[in-house]
Amino acid sequence: MAANSPSVFLLMVNGQIEGANFPEYDDLYCKYCFVYGHDWAPTSGLEEGISQITSKGRDSHHRLVWNFPLEITFKSTNPFGWPQIVVSVYGPDTFGNDVVRGYGATHIPITPGQHSRTIPMFVPESSSRLQKFTSWLLGRRPEFTDPKAVAQGEGREVTRVNSQGFVTLSFNIVTKDMKRLGYDTTPTETAHTHSVVSGVGSGDQPLSM
Amino acid sequence: MSNMQRSWLRHFHLSESFGQRALETRSMAELHIMGQIIGASGFPHSSLFCKWGIHTGGAWRLLSGLTEGQTQVDLPQIGDMAFWTHPIDLHYTTKGLQGWPKLHLQVWHQDSFGRCQLYGYGYCHVPSSPGHHHVRCVTWRPLGSWQEQMAQTFVGGGPQLRSPDLIYSGADRYRLHTVAMGTVELQLGIIMRHFDRYGVES
Repeated sequence: MAANSPSVFLLMVNGQIEGANFPEYDDLYCKYCFVYGHDWAPTSGLEEGISQITSKGRDSHHRLVWNFPLEITFKSTNPFGWPQIVVSVYGPDTFGNDVVRGYGATHIPITPGQHSRTIPMFVPESSSRLQKFTSWLLGRRPEFTDPKAVAQGEGREVTRVNSQGFVTLSFNIVTKDMKRLGYDTTPTETAHTHSVVSGVGSGDQPLSM
Repeated sequence: MSNMQRSWLRHFHLSESFGQRALETRSMAELHIMGQIIGASGFPHSSLFCKWGIHTGGAWRLLSGLTEGQTQVDLPQIGDMAFWTHPIDLHYTTKGLQGWPKLHLQVWHQDSFGRCQLYGYGYCHVPSSPGHHHVRCVTWRPLGSWQEQMAQTFVGGGPQLRSPDLIYSGADRYRLHTVAMGTVELQLGIIMRHFDRYGVES
């Protein structure tokens, strides 16, 4: 293929799962994973991870801190299926079993730069009061069999959930070759001058319409 | 056609006639919408879900993604904002600017018995400049006569639109009498491709 016109662009994500805000729960850890479309592939970095267990500090107003690093680079030919990060938070219940305290997901930011995201975390709700009681007693709460379901829009019509906390993430995003492939992720004042300059020198083929 | 089939077809075309297919997509402007319906607040009760859809004009063609859906039902434990974080991921190609995509929403309330009641209609245009946008969509509900309003406080229910087109069109709106309801929040990221080739500034 032509060496001067790229066909893939890269997305580099550096960030961290800073911490969480769960008023009712303590001693939590989180797991993350990335969900992306068919045209995307990770080229380096870790796709999944589990953090340490953290407790609330005395003065920190219900804040839990993980400071858990995220580093991954993706390559793709198509922005459809832009990666999402799915975070699941777990903690002990009154009997000491590990139960899920929240699922949440968000898209990786699309513009280069520094971004901070606070995502709400929800748990699936039991369908009846009896089931709620038995799951509290036995420590087996309703969970998603695959946490990646949180990142998809299909099949959510039948789930009832309770949102009960927030997780804060921060990202630093770098993209490569998106502008050369014609994708604009910033408004025209910066993009327009760029296209005028590149149109003069790059020798694009004239379009037949 | 499912997403899997669409992406298979796309790969097939690319491998078979790379030059021609590449020229086809190179000549049309493309729009990517990726983001989520975060949640809603300001409604009387909090056990809410949202039915959403996207409507575009005739010049737009959907390449991948779902144009409608329904979120989960959220009953928040903290505060009164219901959070859905429902992902939206769409890829359009277009020959013209007319009929820019509009996102329309219906917010419904589901009570503990499983009965659903309409809480609001709302729509917003998809942002037309690239980058991140935090969109607040206001909602309204049709108001019936005073007898219907009294029945509604006791029994629930209430008037609904016969066809959802009225949510995002202005024709025939003068016949409606509505009341304000809460707000739906969305976080949308927009990527535009090749719009500058047609001289479009955004």
